Amino acid sequence: MDFIRTALLAPLEQLGVQIVAVLPNILASIIIVGVGFVGAWGLGHLVERVLRVVRLDQLCDRLGVNSVLGRGGVKADPSYLVGRAAYWAVVLFAVIAGLGALNLQPINHFAQSLLAYIPHVLIAGIILVAGYLLSNFVSQGVLIAAVNAGLPPARLIANLSRWGVQLFTLAMALEELGIAASVVVVGFGITFGGVVFATCLAFGLGAKDIAKDYLERTLSTRGRDQSPDDLHHL
Amino acid sequence: MGSDQVVSSHPQPVSSSVPLTAETEARLQSVNEAEILVGIPSYNNVDTIGHVVRAVSAGLAKYFPGHRAVLVNSDGGSTDGTAEAVSQVVVDYGALLISDQQNPLQKIITPYQGIPGKGSAFRTIFEIARRVNAKACAVVDSDLRSITPEWIELLLRPILEEGYDYVAPYYLRHKYDGTITNSVVYPLTRALYGQRIRQPVGGDFGFSGRLTEHYLDQHVWGSDVAQFGVDIWMTTEAVASGARVCQSFLGAKIHNPKDPSSDLSAMLMQVLGAVFTLMESHYGVWSNVQGSSAVKLYGFQYEVGVEPINVNVERMIALFRQGLIDLEPIWEQALGRDIVSQLNSLRSVSASDFRITDDLWVRVVYEAALAYHDRRIPREHLIKSLTPLYLGRTATFVLETQGLTTMEAEERVEQLCRVFELNKSYLIERWKPERQ
Repeated sequence: MDFIRTALLAPLEQLGVQIVAVLPNILASIIIVGVGFVGAWGLGHLVERVLRVVRLDQLCDRLGVNSVLGRGGVKADPSYLVGRAAYWAVVLFAVIAGLGALNLQPINHFAQSLLAYIPHVLIAGIILVAGYLLSNFVSQGVLIAAVNAGLPPARLIANLSRWGVQLFTLAMALEELGIAASVVVVGFGITFGGVVFATCLAFGLGAKDIAKDYLERTLSTRGRDQSPDDLHHL
Repeated sequence: MGSDQVVSSHPQPVSSSVPLTAETEARLQSVNEAEILVGIPSYNNVDTIGHVVRAVSAGLAKYFPGHRAVLVNSDGGSTDGTAEAVSQVVVDYGALLISDQQNPLQKIITPYQGIPGKGSAFRTIFEIARRVNAKACAVVDSDLRSITPEWIELLLRPILEEGYDYVAPYYLRHKYDGTITNSVVYPLTRALYGQRIRQPVGGDFGFSGRLTEHYLDQHVWGSDVAQFGVDIWMTTEAVASGARVCQSFLGAKIHNPKDPSSDLSAMLMQVLGAVFTLMESHYGVWSNVQGSSAVKLYGFQYEVGVEPINVNVERMIALFRQGLIDLEPIWEQALGRDIVSQLNSLRSVSASDFRITDDLWVRVVYEAALAYHDRRIPREHLIKSLTPLYLGRTATFVLETQGLTTMEAEERVEQLCRVFELNKSYLIERWKPERQ
């Protein structure tokens, strides 16, 4: 009888005590995750509705975001995508908070490091989106200015400006994420310096006459006198 | 006519709707009231402003000897001695056969405050006009070489004696002079507001004290109007507010060449941006206007040979074609595929057959106004991307009018204006006023 008590019932009793001790944490975790899912569903829909009211889709259409999404095989509109992103962000937070509520040492460590990294991911995402929009804006402005100046490689100049901004943005985002930070900085420096150097060489060797002519026209008053038009536009 | 002046400096805010310097305030106290005010905005115009001030002084003495008059130089911080040149001007009235000097001309030389630009200079002139209770005002550019005393009479007398509120200038110009005015600003303004004001961005205007009050009450002084869009803004506000408007024939306008660094697309941005922005604020006015009516023209009209103008049509067409290749996606987004496909038919035609027809050009301008209103692409990009299109249209005008006299070319401009008026319903039907 003693054997049964010590060999079977005691461990079972101990297990029961442990389960009873952990049970509130599990319950709390389930509640947190459940509420998180409901909250995520509500917030996701709210964000989507608000963005539709403020016409985010039309704005993205004008900025060329929709066409890029389409080219990438994404058929959903930006309002829906941002709503889904909000949903999954809340779900992620709820799951991490739920795991934290279990109060288990390894899971706590994991949750804390994951939480600490999330702001970096968000900032990197914002940098990438802002950089993409800025690169579109800058390259469009450069293209128009280059065409108005009558420069034949207008598209090339505009594309270079777009890639420059995007490269710079990518380097910033990777540095924010802490992914091979020193390699990114050095790599960006080498690539950017290389592009500038190559452009200078190409311009100096291949188009030195155009450069000479341009500088003469710009810097000397003699060039102005040879202007092809003397229209007064206003 | 003697002169009495003060040069004020170091702007200090004082209690008025438009800040004036303490010296200007003190000067206003001594001037008290004036029936006539002539304003001259300036910035580093020492070479020409002396001539302008002499012409204004002689004009006031000759044609308005019985009126109290004040001359205001609103300066943007010139460093070349412009203010001193204004204060030191001496007019030999005897040589001009002017003897009846009843009132000495008062001069106020003041720096303006606010965003640097012609509009801010005008705002200070308007404020001084309000403070001295001027009945009739005129503004003239400080870089004019062809201004005569008669300009002052022509700009002020319709206000003082005929009851007009606004006098627009009418210059004698070469057929290729003022191509933005001829191809867009005049036809569009005329079709929108129904008044045939030939030079809506002339630069030299007359206006009444009532209109000055209206100008000062508008909340535009932090916008582009404060810089360079003020000329078209003054004309449009006058017409849209229902003011009585006339024109005065001033002869040829010869002035110093503009700053060479100011490029064509920047010029288009200033003028077209102002026209399109004003369309938004005056939708209620222009959407109810049909056709147009002639505007009374004062002054003795004459024709003389004007300086020939060199035009490089091939270069314009080449720039248009480069725009067609490189800017096609932007034009499609802003103006629509239909217009771009019509423009594409001009890719391979020879230079002599190159034509952007009136109908197509009107569609381009109206669609650009709609794109500006709907913000289809960033507004500055939209207007600057129109530069090659404008050059293509200018090339068309040159090709169509080479060999024609100025009067015959003028008839060609009138023909374009009629197409603008006929197609106005296109604009009204597509304009979405609820977005204002």
